[in-house]
Amino acid sequence: MPSDEISAADSAFETMDSIDETALADAMRVVPLGAAILAGSMVALLVLGYLLIYTLVFLPRGTVG
Amino acid sequence: MSDTHPEMHERRILHTELLWAFGVGIFVAAALGTIVFTALSISVNPPCNVERLDPKTLHLSGEFAEQNLGTTVGGDGSVTVRAIATQFMFAPRCIAVPAKRPVTLRFASPDVIHGLLITGTNVNTMVVPGFVAQVHTQFTRTGDLLMPCHEYCGIGHSEMWATVQVLPDDQFKPGPDGRVSCAQR
Repeated sequence: MPSDEISAADSAFETMDSIDETALADAMRVVPLGAAILAGSMVALLVLGYLLIYTLVFLPRGTVG
Repeated sequence: MSDTHPEMHERRILHTELLWAFGVGIFVAAALGTIVFTALSISVNPPCNVERLDPKTLHLSGEFAEQNLGTTVGGDGSVTVRAIATQFMFAPRCIAVPAKRPVTLRFASPDVIHGLLITGTNVNTMVVPGFVAQVHTQFTRTGDLLMPCHEYCGIGHSEMWATVQVLPDDQFKPGPDGRVSCAQR
Protein backbone atom coordinates (compact mmCIF):
# COMPACT_ATOMS: atom_id res chain seq x y z
CA MET A 1 0.00 0.00 0.00
CA PRO A 2 1.36 3.52 -0.78
CA SER A 3 3.47 4.91 2.03
CA ASP A 4 1.68 8.25 2.12
CA GLU A 5 -1.63 6.66 3.07
CA ILE A 6 -2.40 6.28 6.71
CA SER A 7 -2.90 2.71 7.74
CA ALA A 8 -5.80 1.90 9.97
CA ALA A 9 -3.27 0.21 12.24
CA ASP A 10 -1.67 3.60 12.90
CA SER A 11 -4.93 5.23 13.91
CA ALA A 12 -5.17 6.75 17.33
CA PHE A 13 -8.30 4.70 17.84
CA GLU A 14 -6.09 1.62 17.99
CA THR A 15 -5.46 2.26 21.64
CA MET A 16 -9.13 1.62 22.26
CA ASP A 17 -8.90 -1.81 20.58
CA SER A 18 -9.16 -4.73 23.00
CA ILE A 19 -6.71 -6.89 20.99
CA ASP A 20 -3.16 -6.32 22.10
CA GLU A 21 -0.16 -6.49 19.80
CA THR A 22 1.44 -9.49 21.48
CA ALA A 23 -1.64 -11.63 21.05
CA LEU A 24 -1.89 -10.52 17.44
CA ALA A 25 1.73 -11.40 16.78
CA ASP A 26 1.19 -14.85 18.30
CA ALA A 27 -1.87 -15.41 16.14
CA MET A 28 -0.05 -14.29 13.01
CA ARG A 29 2.72 -16.74 13.79
CA VAL A 30 0.55 -19.83 14.13
CA VAL A 31 -2.35 -19.11 11.75
CA PRO A 32 -0.45 -19.47 8.44
CA LEU A 33 1.20 -22.63 9.74
CA GLY A 34 -2.16 -24.04 10.77
CA ALA A 35 -3.70 -23.20 7.41
CA ALA A 36 -0.79 -24.85 5.61
CA ILE A 37 -1.09 -28.02 7.71
CA LEU A 38 -4.84 -28.24 7.18
CA ALA A 39 -4.77 -27.59 3.45
CA GLY A 40 -1.64 -29.66 3.03
CA SER A 41 -3.04 -32.70 4.78
CA MET A 42 -6.27 -32.54 2.79
CA VAL A 43 -4.41 -32.30 -0.51
CA ALA A 44 -2.02 -35.03 0.60
CA LEU A 45 -4.99 -37.33 1.22
CA LEU A 46 -6.36 -36.54 -2.24
CA VAL A 47 -2.99 -37.21 -3.85
CA LEU A 48 -2.68 -40.47 -1.92
CA GLY A 49 -6.16 -41.51 -3.04
CA TYR A 50 -5.28 -40.70 -6.66
CA LEU A 51 -2.07 -42.72 -6.50
CA LEU A 52 -3.75 -45.68 -4.80
CA ILE A 53 -6.48 -45.86 -7.42
CA TYR A 54 -3.93 -45.49 -10.23
CA THR A 55 -1.65 -48.26 -8.98
CA LEU A 56 -4.19 -50.65 -7.42
CA VAL A 57 -7.10 -50.31 -9.87
CA PHE A 58 -6.03 -48.80 -13.20
CA LEU A 59 -2.65 -50.46 -13.77
CA PRO A 60 -3.81 -54.02 -12.83
CA ARG A 61 -6.59 -53.73 -15.41
CA GLY A 62 -4.03 -53.70 -18.21
CA THR A 63 -2.62 -51.08 -20.49
CA VAL A 64 -5.00 -49.49 -22.97
CA GLY A 65 -4.24 -47.41 -26.00
CA MET B 1 7.38 -0.85 15.41
CA SER B 2 3.81 -0.51 14.18
CA ASP B 3 5.26 -0.16 10.64
CA THR B 4 7.29 -3.40 10.72
CA HIS B 5 4.55 -5.62 12.08
CA PRO B 6 2.28 -5.50 9.02
CA GLU B 7 5.36 -5.98 6.80
CA MET B 8 6.50 -9.02 8.72
CA HIS B 9 3.03 -10.52 8.64
CA GLU B 10 2.75 -9.92 4.91
CA ARG B 11 6.17 -11.42 4.28
CA ARG B 12 5.27 -14.47 6.30
CA ILE B 13 1.97 -14.89 4.49
CA LEU B 14 3.70 -14.48 1.13
CA HIS B 15 6.28 -17.06 2.14
CA THR B 16 3.57 -19.52 3.14
CA GLU B 17 1.68 -19.00 -0.10
CA LEU B 18 4.80 -19.42 -2.23
CA LEU B 19 5.71 -22.60 -0.40
CA TRP B 20 2.20 -23.93 -0.98
CA ALA B 21 2.27 -23.00 -4.67
CA PHE B 22 5.64 -24.73 -5.02
CA GLY B 23 4.35 -27.92 -3.39
CA VAL B 24 1.21 -28.06 -5.49
CA GLY B 25 3.25 -27.24 -8.59
CA ILE B 26 5.47 -30.26 -7.88
CA PHE B 27 2.44 -32.53 -7.71
CA VAL B 28 0.86 -31.13 -10.89
CA ALA B 29 4.16 -31.50 -12.76
CA ALA B 30 4.54 -35.08 -11.51
CA ALA B 31 1.00 -36.04 -12.54
CA LEU B 32 1.36 -34.48 -16.00
CA GLY B 33 4.80 -36.03 -16.40
CA THR B 34 3.44 -39.49 -15.57
CA ILE B 35 0.63 -39.09 -18.10
CA VAL B 36 2.95 -37.92 -20.88
CA PHE B 37 5.59 -40.55 -20.07
CA THR B 38 3.16 -43.49 -20.07
CA ALA B 39 1.57 -42.18 -23.28
CA LEU B 40 4.91 -41.98 -25.10
CA SER B 41 6.65 -45.06 -23.69
CA ILE B 42 3.94 -47.73 -23.40
CA SER B 43 1.16 -46.10 -25.44
CA VAL B 44 -1.28 -45.69 -22.57
CA ASN B 45 -3.87 -43.27 -23.86
CA PRO B 46 -7.61 -43.04 -24.39
CA PRO B 47 -8.66 -44.76 -27.61
CA CYS B 48 -8.23 -42.16 -30.34
CA ASN B 49 -8.34 -44.02 -33.63
CA VAL B 50 -9.62 -42.02 -36.60
CA GLU B 51 -10.47 -44.39 -39.40
CA ARG B 52 -13.51 -44.03 -41.61
CA LEU B 53 -15.73 -46.59 -43.25
CA ASP B 54 -19.18 -46.67 -44.82
CA PRO B 55 -21.72 -47.81 -42.19
CA LYS B 56 -24.35 -48.65 -44.79
CA THR B 57 -22.29 -51.33 -46.54
CA LEU B 58 -19.95 -52.63 -43.86
CA HIS B 59 -21.85 -55.88 -43.48
CA LEU B 60 -21.57 -56.71 -47.17
CA SER B 61 -17.85 -56.88 -47.75
CA GLY B 62 -14.52 -55.87 -46.35
CA GLU B 63 -13.17 -56.10 -42.87
CA PHE B 64 -16.52 -56.23 -41.03
CA ALA B 65 -18.35 -58.64 -43.27
CA GLU B 66 -19.98 -61.37 -41.19
CA GLN B 67 -17.45 -64.05 -42.06
CA ASN B 68 -14.61 -61.86 -40.76
CA LEU B 69 -16.12 -61.12 -37.35
CA GLY B 70 -14.62 -62.60 -34.20
CA THR B 71 -11.05 -63.30 -33.12
CA THR B 72 -8.31 -63.87 -35.68
CA VAL B 73 -4.66 -64.69 -35.09
CA GLY B 74 -2.44 -63.27 -37.81
CA GLY B 75 0.62 -64.88 -39.31
CA ASP B 76 2.84 -62.86 -36.99
CA GLY B 77 0.93 -64.00 -33.90
CA SER B 78 -1.00 -60.75 -33.52
CA VAL B 79 -4.53 -61.14 -32.19
CA THR B 80 -7.28 -59.01 -33.71
CA VAL B 81 -10.92 -58.99 -32.67
CA ARG B 82 -13.51 -57.58 -35.05
CA ALA B 83 -17.05 -56.99 -33.85
CA ILE B 84 -20.10 -55.05 -34.87
CA ALA B 85 -22.22 -53.08 -32.45
CA THR B 86 -25.75 -52.79 -33.72
CA GLN B 87 -29.26 -52.35 -32.39
CA PHE B 88 -29.46 -54.31 -30.08
CA MET B 89 -26.63 -56.83 -30.03
CA PHE B 90 -22.94 -57.30 -30.52
CA ALA B 91 -21.85 -59.66 -33.26
CA PRO B 92 -20.36 -62.04 -32.31
CA ARG B 93 -22.10 -62.44 -28.97
CA CYS B 94 -19.08 -64.16 -27.45
CA ILE B 95 -15.50 -63.08 -28.05
CA ALA B 96 -12.49 -65.22 -27.16
CA VAL B 97 -9.23 -63.49 -26.31
CA PRO B 98 -5.91 -64.72 -24.90
CA ALA B 99 -4.60 -63.65 -21.52
CA LYS B 100 -1.35 -61.68 -21.21
CA ARG B 101 -0.93 -61.10 -24.94
CA PRO B 102 -1.44 -57.86 -26.89
CA VAL B 103 -4.92 -57.79 -28.40
CA THR B 104 -6.35 -55.27 -30.86
CA LEU B 105 -10.12 -54.82 -30.71
CA ARG B 106 -11.88 -53.17 -33.63
CA PHE B 107 -15.53 -52.19 -33.62
CA ALA B 108 -17.91 -50.66 -36.13
CA SER B 109 -21.57 -49.68 -36.07
CA PRO B 110 -23.98 -49.72 -39.01
CA ASP B 111 -26.70 -47.75 -37.30
CA VAL B 112 -26.48 -45.49 -34.23
CA ILE B 113 -23.86 -44.48 -31.71
CA HIS B 114 -23.02 -47.26 -29.27
CA GLY B 115 -20.41 -47.52 -26.58
CA LEU B 116 -18.86 -50.43 -24.82
CA LEU B 117 -16.69 -51.34 -21.92
CA ILE B 118 -15.23 -54.63 -20.75
CA THR B 119 -15.63 -55.13 -17.01
CA GLY B 120 -12.45 -55.42 -15.00
CA THR B 121 -10.36 -53.87 -17.76
CA ASN B 122 -9.62 -50.41 -19.07
CA VAL B 123 -11.32 -51.10 -22.39
CA ASN B 124 -13.88 -48.36 -22.86
CA THR B 125 -14.79 -46.70 -26.13
CA MET B 126 -17.58 -45.20 -28.17
CA VAL B 127 -18.55 -46.81 -31.46
CA VAL B 128 -19.66 -44.11 -33.87
CA PRO B 129 -21.21 -44.95 -37.25
CA GLY B 130 -18.75 -44.07 -40.00
CA PHE B 131 -15.65 -44.75 -37.88
CA VAL B 132 -13.72 -47.77 -36.68
CA ALA B 133 -13.17 -47.79 -32.92
CA GLN B 134 -9.86 -49.44 -32.05
CA VAL B 135 -8.46 -50.36 -28.65
CA HIS B 136 -5.14 -52.08 -27.91
CA THR B 137 -4.89 -53.85 -24.59
CA GLN B 138 -3.64 -56.87 -22.67
CA PHE B 139 -6.01 -58.91 -20.57
CA THR B 140 -4.29 -59.60 -17.28
CA ARG B 141 -6.60 -62.24 -15.81
CA THR B 142 -8.46 -65.23 -17.23
CA GLY B 143 -12.20 -65.58 -16.88
CA ASP B 144 -15.48 -64.50 -18.40
CA LEU B 145 -16.02 -60.76 -18.62
CA LEU B 146 -19.11 -58.75 -19.46
CA MET B 147 -19.12 -56.28 -22.36
CA PRO B 148 -22.28 -54.18 -22.16
CA CYS B 149 -23.28 -51.30 -24.39
CA HIS B 150 -22.93 -48.15 -22.31
CA GLU B 151 -24.31 -45.53 -24.70
CA TYR B 152 -28.08 -45.36 -24.97
CA CYS B 153 -28.94 -46.67 -28.41
CA GLY B 154 -32.67 -47.29 -28.23
CA ILE B 155 -35.30 -49.35 -26.51
CA GLY B 156 -33.20 -52.53 -26.36
CA HIS B 157 -30.09 -50.85 -24.99
CA SER B 158 -30.30 -52.49 -21.57
CA GLU B 159 -30.23 -55.95 -23.15
CA MET B 160 -27.30 -55.24 -25.42
CA TRP B 161 -24.25 -57.05 -24.11
CA ALA B 162 -21.65 -59.63 -25.07
CA THR B 163 -19.32 -61.97 -23.23
CA VAL B 164 -15.55 -61.80 -23.46
CA GLN B 165 -13.81 -65.07 -22.61
CA VAL B 166 -10.23 -64.51 -21.55
CA LEU B 167 -8.57 -67.85 -22.17
CA PRO B 168 -5.24 -69.14 -20.90
CA ASP B 169 -2.64 -70.10 -23.49
CA ASP B 170 -3.50 -73.80 -23.48
CA GLN B 171 -7.13 -73.10 -24.37
CA PHE B 172 -6.55 -70.33 -26.90
CA LYS B 173 -5.94 -72.43 -29.99
CA PRO B 174 -6.61 -70.92 -33.40
CA GLY B 175 -8.06 -73.16 -36.11
CA PRO B 176 -6.44 -73.59 -39.52
CA ASP B 177 -8.01 -70.33 -40.67
CA GLY B 178 -6.56 -68.45 -37.70
CA ARG B 179 -9.98 -68.04 -36.08
CA VAL B 180 -10.69 -68.65 -32.40
CA SER B 181 -14.19 -69.20 -31.05
CA CYS B 182 -15.46 -69.14 -27.52
CA ALA B 183 -14.97 -72.31 -25.52
CA GLN B 184 -18.26 -74.20 -25.27
CA ARG B 185 -19.16 -74.86 -21.67
